[in-house]
Amino acid sequence: LSSRDLTSYRAGDLSDGQPAQLADVLERVLDKGIVIAGDIQVNLLDIELLTIKLRLLIASADKAKELGIDWWEGDAFLSSRGERQALEERVRRLEEERGIEGETASSALGERSER
Amino acid sequence: VSSALEARREQSLGTCWYLYGVVPASSAPDERFDWPSVTATGQVDVLGEGTLAAVVTPAPAVDFDQPGLDAHLQDAAWLESKIRAHEQVLERVLAHSSVLPFRFCTIYRSEESVRGFLRERRAELEAALGQLAGRVELGVKAFADRKRLAHRLGSGVQDEGLGEGESGGRAYLERRLAEQRSADDLERVALELVEAWHEELMAHAAAGTFLRLQTPEASGRPDDMLMNAAYLVEANDRGFIDAVAALRGEYEALGIVFELTGPWPPYNFVPDEAGTG
Repeated sequence: LSSRDLTSYRAGDLSDGQPAQLADVLERVLDKGIVIAGDIQVNLLDIELLTIKLRLLIASADKAKELGIDWWEGDAFLSSRGERQALEERVRRLEEERGIEGETASSALGERSER
Repeated sequence: VSSALEARREQSLGTCWYLYGVVPASSAPDERFDWPSVTATGQVDVLGEGTLAAVVTPAPAVDFDQPGLDAHLQDAAWLESKIRAHEQVLERVLAHSSVLPFRFCTIYRSEESVRGFLRERRAELEAALGQLAGRVELGVKAFADRKRLAHRLGSGVQDEGLGEGESGGRAYLERRLAEQRSADDLERVALELVEAWHEELMAHAAAGTFLRLQTPEASGRPDDMLMNAAYLVEANDRGFIDAVAALRGEYEALGIVFELTGPWPPYNFVPDEAGTG
């Protein structure tokens, strides 16, 4: 890194000119930032489910496909609320299993060992 | 699909305002003609209201109001491009000004509605901007090949040229290595390392938080991610970057790689009280 002041960096410069990894963008733009409902009610269930799905996609595209969650290839969201809840439960269980829900470094080195 | 029909539908539905973030009116960016936006042709506008300004794009309601928006939200390609546009606009803003980033898809039905929001929430928004003034978010990730790390730890680090260093981290690591050999121990050592790194970086940050660890598919690196964290740092202070450079030098021989990303709009550090009311 040069000795320039950070103020002279354009945003993203520290990433060596590479576009930001999608995962880094998603975990910020979808998960964080100020939430103040605008005039338009975005279906929270959709966004919630979407975030879960994106997370799952990040965790493993293969695993998502295995579960039939190949929504990025064009399938619609599940139609009924019951199906959605079932899917959400399934995704949550999977996330817990894989340890990708934790906010800390508790799964450092990828394979968590039982304590 | 008739474009005339499309245009008429668009016209009848009108325009809504997509809100990216809020900035102090005094530092709002004024040259934005070549900026990206969440629409194909729309530009990024700044709506000043007193001391605050909203960074917005007038967007066709056919895409950003119901039912069109609901349909788009199910389209992964649409989502990715809009999410990236949202981020890119805020990155441009950040080059000019402190910014309070808003979550994806914060949309108003009229310009007056955006202005009303700025007036009503002025105190909270100003307070939040005050906390973020002059600060940016930096991301720090650490990676290592688990097997290689275990091997190096297990076979003695002196071979790797780590022995001569007297610096705290390495000396500590060597001491731990003498004691810890099993996989479980390795895990524990890694956690302690992450804590030590975090502590060192926090000495140069106003705040810090751990993010979810990413898999190789997400991170784009084959190695295991040991740490994924975000820090709020003074934009004109190099201490943090120097600290990351020091960690790089210190742990290079162990095959641990540190990745620095940003500067990001401070997504991870928007004050709670500004976020939910």
